[in-house]
Amino acid sequence: MRFSASRGILTRAPKSEGASTTRHSSGFEQFCTMLQNSSDLSILDMSGASQANVSFITGYGHRISSDDALGTMQTCFGADFFSNQQAASNAHRFLEQTLTFPDETFDGALVWDTLQFLIPPLLEDTVAKLLRVMRPGALLLAFFNSDEKRAQVPLYNYRIQDSKTLAQTPRGGLQRAQYFNNRVLERLFERASSLKFFLTRGAQREVIVRK
Amino acid sequence: MWSKRREDELPQRSESRSPTAPTSTPQLESQRRESNFMASPNRNFEPETGSRGGPAILGKNVTVKGQIFAREDLTIDGEVEGTVECHEHRLTIGPNARVQAGLKAREIVIQGSIHGNVDATDKIDIKKEAKLVGDIKTSRIVIEDGAYFKGSIDISKPNAAAKPAAATVVTSPAVPSTQSAPPATQTAVASTGATSR
Repeated sequence: MRFSASRGILTRAPKSEGASTTRHSSGFEQFCTMLQNSSDLSILDMSGASQANVSFITGYGHRISSDDALGTMQTCFGADFFSNQQAASNAHRFLEQTLTFPDETFDGALVWDTLQFLIPPLLEDTVAKLLRVMRPGALLLAFFNSDEKRAQVPLYNYRIQDSKTLAQTPRGGLQRAQYFNNRVLERLFERASSLKFFLTRGAQREVIVRK
Repeated sequence: MWSKRREDELPQRSESRSPTAPTSTPQLESQRRESNFMASPNRNFEPETGSRGGPAILGKNVTVKGQIFAREDLTIDGEVEGTVECHEHRLTIGPNARVQAGLKAREIVIQGSIHGNVDATDKIDIKKEAKLVGDIKTSRIVIEDGAYFKGSIDISKPNAAAKPAAATVVTSPAVPSTQSAPPATQTAVASTGATSR
């Protein structure tokens, strides 16, 4: 699914948008060491289904679960993206439809850049639910745009190329709910046992969270 | 293409079944087949579509509630609620299909909408227009970009899948699952309600 934002409205992006580029990801490299050193893991991919990610994860013999969080956001919040998140009924509907897994199901979660589009109360509930479905010691990889001046941030589809390289295909842009610096992220994941940050050249703040 | 094949193959089949039988018109042949089927629906119903070559098709205006067992390739383009099993064969879920069922087959191609667990011993092919909510168990999987999928994927090795024990029931409280039962006829629809609109 492709999106673009117009006055805070989430819409599909034109198909002519940019081609995919590859980049090195230190965060994913860390995440990948867990994939390589363990067997029979359950991994959650929150970018929806993709051949590259499924093949890569299952190539190690792990199980992958797919949940298109951004697609669910669009279904639940529609055109008036941020104000609809404030309505308790909409927020409740989103939480009911996403992360519908038993507690402590996953050993790893690839959250990508989805969390930066949720407003604070809903974001905290989503992170709490995310941590609940992860097993103790599990790793979570999330991306946040680190360009403070930019109101609208690009959205990408992330496809795993190898253990340290990601292909990112633009799918429009969207105004983020807030700017995430290290302090905000530390507060957001305060229940986690550890946090590690990586800054990339593409203005991405990669975060590895260990539950 | 199919009609041409059928024309080519029909005379051969009638010869092989009754070499000494007198030549009959297509109308008589059709009536004889129908009367054979009606007389012994369970015992003597021999696979016919196998020699014809085409898959069985549930059209887009067909609704089935219940269990479907197929011993041939099957295409579903209508609505199905229950379970579908095509052991050793290919199951195609067409673009108009709306399926709320557990699916089991050798190979499954998905273009329509499915809510249920999917178990393919060989391969699952999810096309870009497909929507699948449920757990997948298979040896190989192809997912086109743009397909909607929510659930888990378990890749079982081909050797493990070949063993009878691997044909286990995938169950989930959220979605219907397949039930293993021996197929009684070539394509049997054990339905509680099958309607054609």
